[in-house]
Amino acid sequence: MYKLYIEKDVTTKELFYKVINDLGIKDSLIYNEYGKPYFENSNLFFNMSSSGCYTVLAISNKEVGVDIERITMNDSVIDRICTDEEKKIIKNADDFTIMWTKKESYVKWLGIGLSYGLKNVDTLKIKGFKVIKKDDYYISVYEN
Amino acid sequence: MRKEEIKKEVISLIADTLEIEKENINEKSNLVSDLDVESLDLVGLVVAFEDKYNVEIPDSEIKNLQTVEDIISFIEKNV
Repeated sequence: MYKLYIEKDVTTKELFYKVINDLGIKDSLIYNEYGKPYFENSNLFFNMSSSGCYTVLAISNKEVGVDIERITMNDSVIDRICTDEEKKIIKNADDFTIMWTKKESYVKWLGIGLSYGLKNVDTLKIKGFKVIKKDDYYISVYEN
Repeated sequence: MRKEEIKKEVISLIADTLEIEKENINEKSNLVSDLDVESLDLVGLVVAFEDKYNVEIPDSEIKNLQTVEDIISFIEKNV
């Protein structure tokens, strides 16, 4: 089960150290080949994202990926990132942003990032995304 | 294409796509740490370069495009 921290006007580094200090975690970070950070010894997993004035951190006892994005529409990337079925359900900026954050949270959960190929993340088939709206932002969390 | 020509075009395209001033971009600029490029911007840039140069940039290549110089080199080699 993850816990999500959402803060305004802090850097990812500031939020990270605030949370691990609050939780009393004293651990080093190691990185996978795609640059995803992990605690070296603790059994906890975390992931971070920022957009505009918001920074989010999800921490969990399971692998977790999180993404936040201000509500936006970017027609130029739809063909690259969406399956044909996904394209049919994007009617507005909310739909696009939810889909984008789901895909991003999933590839961050995998620890691979954009290199995995966002079109390979079929959000209509993968279950378990948690989507939260905060002001004019969407946050998606995926853990498993 | 000459490298100088590619460099000029790449910087113009980045400036237009990200809506920033060309003067703030140089070959050494890191997309994330210097130009504040987020994932969505990066995918937008990749699509813009693919369209302009009629070249395919595989997803697996994106992690190697960290600086403006990396983009210029990729286009030099593949166009």
